[in-house]
Formats: sequence, structure tokens, C-alpha cells
Amino acid sequence: MTQETVHSAAPRKQRVLLDFLGSMNLAVTLLVMLSIASVIGTVLQQNQATQDYIIKFGPFWAEVFNSLGLFHVYGAAWFVLVLVFLLLSTSVCVTRNTPGFIKDMKQFSEKLSLKALQHQPQHTEFTSKDDLQTEQARVVKTLQAQGYKTKVHARDDGSVTVAGLKGRWNRLGYFFTHVSIVVICIGALLDSNLLLKYRELTGNLIPETRTISLKEVPQTAWLGPENTSFRGSVNVPEGQKSDVLFLPYEDGYLVQKLPFMVEVKDFRIEYYDTGMPKNYESDLVLTSPELDEPIVKTIAVNHPLYYKNYAIYQSSFGDGGSLLNLKVHPLLSPVENPIGLQTAVNKVEPLKTPIGKFNVEFNDFRLFNMVPTTEEEHAKTGKKFHNNGPSIIFKVRNEQGKAWEYENYMSPSLQENRWFYMTGVRTMNSEPFRYLFIPADAKRQKTRFFKFLALINNPVENTRIFKEAFPQSEQTDDKTYALQIRLMQQLMTLFRAKGFDGISEFINKNVPEEERQKVGDYYFGQTSFALQSLFLDVLKQEGAQPASDAEVSDFDKQWFEDALTAINTIPHYGPPMYFELESFKHIQSTGLQITKSPGKDVVYFGSAMLIIGVFFLFYVRQKRIWVNLRQAENSGDQADKAGTDITVAGKDNKPLPETETEFERLVHLLRTSSH
Amino acid sequence: MQSETLSNHYEETKSFGLRDIVWAAFVIIGSLLAWDQYGHNMDVYEDAILGAAAIGLIWLGRFWRSFQPVTVVVTLLSVLAIYTYAKHGNVITANEQAFFLKYLISSQSAIMWMNALFILAMVTYFLALYQRSEFTGKVATTMVWSAAVFGLVGMMVRWRESYIINVEYGHIPVSSLYEVFILFVVLTALIYLYYEQKYKTKTLGGFVMLVISAAVGFILWYTFDREAHVIQPLVPALKSWWMKIHVPANFIGYGTFSIAAMVGLAYLITAKVKEKNPNSGFVKRMPSLELMDDLMYKNIALGFAFFTIATVLGAMWAAEAWGGYWSWDPKETWALIVWLNYAAWLHIRMSKGWRGKPMAWWALIGLLVTTFAFLGVNMFLSGLHSYGEL
Ligand code: HEM
Repeated sequence: MTQETVHSAAPRKQRVLLDFLGSMNLAVTLLVMLSIASVIGTVLQQNQATQDYIIKFGPFWAEVFNSLGLFHVYGAAWFVLVLVFLLLSTSVCVTRNTPGFIKDMKQFSEKLSLKALQHQPQHTEFTSKDDLQTEQARVVKTLQAQGYKTKVHARDDGSVTVAGLKGRWNRLGYFFTHVSIVVICIGALLDSNLLLKYRELTGNLIPETRTISLKEVPQTAWLGPENTSFRGSVNVPEGQKSDVLFLPYEDGYLVQKLPFMVEVKDFRIEYYDTGMPKNYESDLVLTSPELDEPIVKTIAVNHPLYYKNYAIYQSSFGDGGSLLNLKVHPLLSPVENPIGLQTAVNKVEPLKTPIGKFNVEFNDFRLFNMVPTTEEEHAKTGKKFHNNGPSIIFKVRNEQGKAWEYENYMSPSLQENRWFYMTGVRTMNSEPFRYLFIPADAKRQKTRFFKFLALINNPVENTRIFKEAFPQSEQTDDKTYALQIRLMQQLMTLFRAKGFDGISEFINKNVPEEERQKVGDYYFGQTSFALQSLFLDVLKQEGAQPASDAEVSDFDKQWFEDALTAINTIPHYGPPMYFELESFKHIQSTGLQITKSPGKDVVYFGSAMLIIGVFFLFYVRQKRIWVNLRQAENSGDQADKAGTDITVAGKDNKPLPETETEFERLVHLLRTSSH
Repeated sequence: MQSETLSNHYEETKSFGLRDIVWAAFVIIGSLLAWDQYGHNMDVYEDAILGAAAIGLIWLGRFWRSFQPVTVVVTLLSVLAIYTYAKHGNVITANEQAFFLKYLISSQSAIMWMNALFILAMVTYFLALYQRSEFTGKVATTMVWSAAVFGLVGMMVRWRESYIINVEYGHIPVSSLYEVFILFVVLTALIYLYYEQKYKTKTLGGFVMLVISAAVGFILWYTFDREAHVIQPLVPALKSWWMKIHVPANFIGYGTFSIAAMVGLAYLITAKVKEKNPNSGFVKRMPSLELMDDLMYKNIALGFAFFTIATVLGAMWAAEAWGGYWSWDPKETWALIVWLNYAAWLHIRMSKGWRGKPMAWWALIGLLVTTFAFLGVNMFLSGLHSYGEL
């Protein structure tokens, strides 16, 4: 610090500022601020939709937090400012201390006076019998053997000081650690999107926020090779290629053009026997005008492809537009007339129906649906998961924009020992799916269900069947009989429109309170009689000839119950259509993450410096030793064999409990070597 | 007189004697045999890690002689376990049939012995402090040594067992929260033993065992309530040789930070008692305040160095697995917070020269921060570090 006052021509104000920047208090304050900011960044979920924050904190606090940048802490101006000050503080500290430290590393301070030596933290004195030259050589040898560098200074008065210095790399440790922080920050800066921010501010870069096709993305959201660092991702379906990348940016994205083309030949997932994924792999072919031969490589998690200063990582996977072959069953039609639909995942199909126009958005196809097994199943098969088979996820949207989301399974699954085709529906993303269980018939198909359903929907057929099952008796006149048949018919219509609840509702509305019980019993009796008649007709059509319900098999009875349960809930199923997945061709897409990170090596270099520096700092101790040798004064009678008076002094720049004992050990060595 | 013994000690550590040659030969031959036996499962990086581990072990054994017998015993017991499995046809159910495996050295049994011994050691250390008995103290220390041996054997055998269950599941046992907890208690115990031996601080043992016993409590709960001890295959992101170096480096950090916090606790209690009664027997039995202060520093410095390495290695692994060396993932960010915290601690101590009580408090609070980074992040925050959710 002394040299600073000597050179100090700088105006005072500047000095004060520099002192502040390089001060330990500021450094520690910054470190603590950085920690607190990081805590906020992890406790508060970052980069969510504004909507979610408002729900969580209410509009007022969401606004306050947002203006403080707490939802994007690591990009907030004040956070960057803390980093900048950290950089400044460290730089100032290094520039201020380094000259002194270098001097300290080189200096042996061999010219210190005997008085000064006697004021060192450790010192001791003794007398040797040998003469000065012998002793001096010995001292130098002993110190060097102990790892000290030495420097000898002879004084005019004939005395000699041997100065030793050890562990001067400790000072380098200080230099390395602090410079490394600066280097790491510079590396991180090279990889940051500062340049893009600048371009955005000057107005020639506008991130895209809409989900539109690549061709429609305006030029202002495109980035070319001038962008030196990026980290983005792209989904490439199997068999296709891409030379662009999507970079998430603020609330939208930017499109980065790549100087090469990546083609995805195949994507695979391997599984353990537990059903857990074991590995994700993509077979890639990379072509570029600069390459004579394309690069062919399979990448996997933890095994990226490096090309020049780009790296391509396996990061996710999804559907790449699987081809779907569907049958759409109208659920209110009096005849079975499913229509075929050839489509693919990510497509939107307009659908014109008698009950209105719809858009069907096919969102996803899943080949496997692993679900935990029940305990009995686990005991039987020994597996923790089983596969429920392929499913499709899609949305049906009406003209008003209201959407129902569905999850339909292709294969039946076993529930309480019966087979069902599951189809789930929900109207809000946040809700779980509510499932409709379509019972499978004896052939494990849905055929009977749709036949039964169509029959219930068909008033003409209904009338015929009811008349057969319930012939006009002698006592009933024509009008009453016609009324009875019509009642059954109307009950069917009510049931189909609103389920059993619809019938109760009808009774509550139209029948006086005191008669409800009686009428209710009668109506529900008629309903179940009607439904049973229809079911028996279905059985007849299938070729069975049960004369009465007594002969219906247990399986069919159970099926009938399950079918009614399902039909009863159809009114809550959304637009009355069922999408059956008949067949598919699975096409996957692989999610590639591609980065260009020129700062990476800088950061690694800084990190290496940091580690080396930390070890120097903690495990190399800088120590000094001075041995002052003088012709002994009390030589008396043996003037020719004069001994030497010796003063040993030591200083450790980080005094530790062992400093004292180490000094004693060294003195001991110096003494024993002189006998 | 004192310098006499000092210089003897000095001579002893410097010489490169027969013992060191035997030691180096033991490590080299052992590593070569391991490589011969299991090398087909290793890639070049893992070959390099094995080589570096062998060199490191030779160095460690020379630097700390007591680690030599530990290594030998652990090796013998592990080989015995592996051999017993092999004799039973390499099926995992052998751990129910073979006597040695069932009661002593199948990974589960060894770890249970470790757990029991650590808790006993804590009680014994405090008993020794209370009784002022040197002998009881020695018993406690022996218990910690044995617990560490059992823990290491448990880890080695678990490593082998993961391959016996299914070759595809095979992995070094530092990949689930359960496994790293074992690593944590073993490393903490060993580092503590080193300092105990060097500075004769048996009276600190009970305090350090507090943290270890808490971790043991967690292991027991995790085993019996959550069945976390069951060996699971690795998720794809963890299948990397980086794990073999990143995780142990991290846990040297966590271990030393824990020791520092417990020494801090002992410091605070001793200082308090001393204020009231400078001549109290307790204060006399405890190490001097200066020594405890220095021990805190030594542990934090060692931990900081390894934590720095671990964080850098973590960043390099992240660059290879996730495509970016820094993503502000919660685990990553909390590692940074821990690092910044101890960097600040070290600055204040080195430059401002703070000592004693405030630093002890800070070390103690540092343990809370560390624990959150270690455990809290897994419990409360989601992120890319997907191992071991509670
Ligand atoms: C994280 C960013 C860091 C910042 C902002 C920072 C800042 C500072 C500042 C301002 C000083 C005071 C210099 C003076 O008194 O003129 C200092 C000193 C010091 N720093 Fe850091 N530092 C950082 C990281 C580190 C690291 C990682 C280490 C290694 C453990 C370290 C070790 C030291 C030491 C040993 C000193 C005292 C030098 C002396 O006076 O002997 N610093 N630091």
C-alpha cells in the first residue's frame, strides 16, 4: 500500500471511488446480494406465464414482483449490475494488490536490521562454536534443504544475513483466484445474449410470439451466422431434416439459421425391464457445404455430437406427425355410420356434422402408456409397470371456440376383470381427465356397444321392438297402448339426452309432489324394461336366442350394466362423437439442442485457474526466515576459534497454531547441524 | 525435549521406506486386478479415473498412514463378499442364504452395522467427555473407524450387487439420495478421524457425530419408510463417468462444512462456559478455542477447495448432458450460493481477521445453507437434477 501513496497523483475523488470498489466490505456485500438473488430465483419459479403469477400472488403483488424483475431474476438489470460490480470490485482489487504482491514474492528483505529481526513474530538467538563462513554455508544448505530460496547479504560491519523465502506461490494464488473470476465472467458474457438485447433495443430484432409456420416468421425474428453464441432447440421428425433452430427469447422465440443441415434417420427409446427409460438415441447425418463427407453419428443423452464449435445434444423427444387412421362414431345417430378419417398428429381437421361445425386438433400420439401395476398384478407378473397401449390426445373445438380435450386408448384395458376401452375428457388443462369406460363385448370389440347405442337412438326400431316385447293385451284399448309405447319411446329420448338424471328431472318438473314417488317408480320400471328389450334384441341379432332375461349369461348381464353406466355419462362427454383409433404409423421426432458457445473454453480456463489458485492460497504458506550471523563477541581466550552469534527470525504471512512449532523445528535443525 | 519429538516425527514422514513400497505395490496390484476383472465395463475415461484413483490412494496412504489398514480391511471384506456371491452363482438372493452376507457384509447388512456403530460412537464420545476417560474415548474412536470400514464395504458390495441384480442396472453407488447419504457419513467420519488423530481432539467427536447421527437417522427413515435402499437402474442423464468424480468431490465439501459447523457449535458452547467459569473442567477438557477456530478454518478451506472442483466438474458435466455449463437450475444455483457463502466467510477471516464467535455462528448457519442445497432442493424445488426426490 505504501507505493500507492507515493505514486498518488490521482485526484482524491477518484481514489475514494477506487477504494470503495476494491474494498472488502463491498466485495462481501456483493457476494451476499448475489446469494440472495439466487435464492429468490430458485424459490420463485422463473419464466412462467404472467397469468400463473397473477393467480399465485394476486394482481398487485404480481405487478410489484414483475417490476422488480423477480420473475426473470437472472436477466434482471439489477442482477446484471451486481455482476458488473463484482467484476469491477475484483478487477480493482487485483490491480491494486498485484504490484505489491509481486514485489513481496520477489523480495527477500535480506537487508533488515538486526533490530528489525528481533521484532519479528518468531525469533531466537544462540551461539555456535564454528566460525562465520562455515556456519553461513551450513545455514544456506539447511534452509535450501527445507525448501527455502535464499539470498545472502553481507553488511559492512562484517555480519551476514541469510534470508530465506518459501511458498511464494501463495501470492500467485490470490492473483489466480481473482483473475479467474474476471475470466469466468468474461466467458459468460461471450455466451450471453447481450448483443441480441442491443439489437432488440435498436429495433432490428423482434421476437416472434405466435405459433406459426416457419415460412411465415418475419425476417425480423431471424438470426444468421453473425450471431456468435446461442443455445436453442428444434424438433426434427424421423426421416426429416432441419437447418434452423428456435431460441427461446423473452416471451417468444427467434429463429437461428444454421450453416449445416441435420437429418434424423431414426429415433429410439430403450427401456429397462421396470418400464423406466434406459436411453434415448438419435441417428444423425450432418451435411454441410464445407464437408466432403457427411458426418454420421448416433447421439444419446450424455453423448453429444461436436462439429466445429457447435454441439448437438439429445434433449427431448415427441411425436413427429404419426399417421392416424380413425373412425368417428356419431353418438346420437339412429344408425351405425362411422366415418373414416385419415389424419396425422399436429394436423387440424374441420368436421361438419348435423349438430354443427367442429375443428379437431390432433395433439399427440403415445405408443406406450406405462402405468403402475396394482399389488395383485405385481404379485402375478412381478412387474411394477404395465403398458396400456397406444393412445391419442386431441381437442375438439366448436365454432364458439370452446374446446374439449380427449385422451382415447386404442386397446382395451382390464378393470375389475372386465375389458374396457377408455376415453378421457376434460375442458380445462388443469383438470384431470374424467373417463368413460366403454365395455368390450365377448370378442373384446366395441361393435356391440355401438350397435346398442344406435338402437336406443332409433325411434322407429324402438317402437317395433317395444311392440314385440309388450304386445297389446285384451284389456287395453288402442289409445292407451299407443300412449304406453310412446312413453317408453320418450323415456329413451330423455335417457339419451340427459341420462337417468334427465328422467328424474322430468318427473320433478311435470309431476305434482305427492305423486312423484309412484310415477317415478313406474317411469324407471318402464325405462329399464325398455332398455332390456332393446338389449335382448341386440343379443338376438348376434344370433343368441334368450327367451327371457333369466337366460342371459352373467357376462352379458354385466356388460349391459356397464353399457348403461357408460351411456348414462355420454351427455357429459362433450360433442357426441367418439374417435376410434383403428391403425397408425408411428413417426417420432427427436428434440435436439444445438449450442454454439465460444465462451465455454474461456470459462473452463478460468475455472482451472480458480482451482489452482484456491490450492495455492490454502495449501501453500508463504514463510520467511532470516538468519543473522555475527562474529561472537565473548570469544575471550580462544580468539583464533571465534564462534558465531546467530539470530534466527521467522514470519509466516498467515500465522497458524503450527507456525510456532515449525519455527522451533527449523531452529532445532539449524542448531543440530552446527554441532 | 519437545523439539526432539518433533524432529523425530519429521524424519518419519519424510522417509520413503519399505512400508511405502509395499503400500504402493498393494494399490497398484489391486487396481490392475480390478481392471482385469471389470475393465470390459469401463470406457477410456473410466480407465483414467481408475488410474487417477490408484495414484490418489497411494498418495493418501502415504500422507495419512492410518488409511492404509482401512483400505486393506475394506478390500479384503469386499473381495470376500464378491467371492461369496460368486460361489452362490451370482444371484442376489445369496444375501439371504450365505452366513457372511446375511449377517455382516451384504451391502444392506454392512450399512446397518455402520448405522449402529455411528450412533453408538456418538453416545460413547459424550460418555468419554463426561467421564473424562481416555479409554472410553479410544473405544469411541475405534467405533468410528469400524463404522467407516463397514460403510465403505457396504458401498463396494452395493456396487457389485447392482451388477448382480441386472447388468443393465450396474452403477457406482453415488447416484441416489440414499447412496450419497452413505457417502456423506463415511467421508465426514474419515475426515474427522484425520483431524482427531492430528490434533488429539477426541472431545470433539461427540459433536461431529451429531451431524453423522442425524444423517444416519435419515438413512434409517429412508430405508424403512421409503424403501430407498432398493437398487434402481439409472435414468439416462446420470449414465456418465462424470458422476464418479463430481459426486465424491461434492461430498468432501459437504462433509468438511458439516465438521466445521459442529466444531463451531463446540466452540460456542465452550466459549459460553468459559465466560461463566474460566476454570471449569469442561473447558479444560475441550481443545483450546484457538485450535477449534483453526479447525473450522482448515475444514472450510478444504471443503471450499473441493466444492470449487465439484462445481466446476458439475458445470462441465452439465455442458455435456444438457448442452450448457450453466442453466440456473436450482441445484446448480444453490451450489453457487453455498460457494459464495463460504467465499465470503473466508474473505472475512483472511482479510478482516475476524476470529472466534461470529465465525463459529457463521459456520453453523453455513450448515443450514449447505443442508438446503443438499436436501432441501430435492424436497422443495424441481429442476434438472432429478435424482432422489423425496
Ligand atoms: C467471487 C468474487 C470475488 C470478489 C468480488 C472478491 C473480491 C475481493 C476484494 C475486493 C478483496 C480485497 C482486496 C483488498 O483488500 O484490496 C479480496 C481479497 C481477497 N480475496 Fe477475494 N474476491 C472474490 C473471490 C475470491 C476467491 C474465490 C478467493 C479464494 C478463496 C478469494 C480470496 C481472497 C483473498 C485471500 C483475499 C485477501 C488478499 C490479502 O489481502 O491478503 N477471493 N477479494
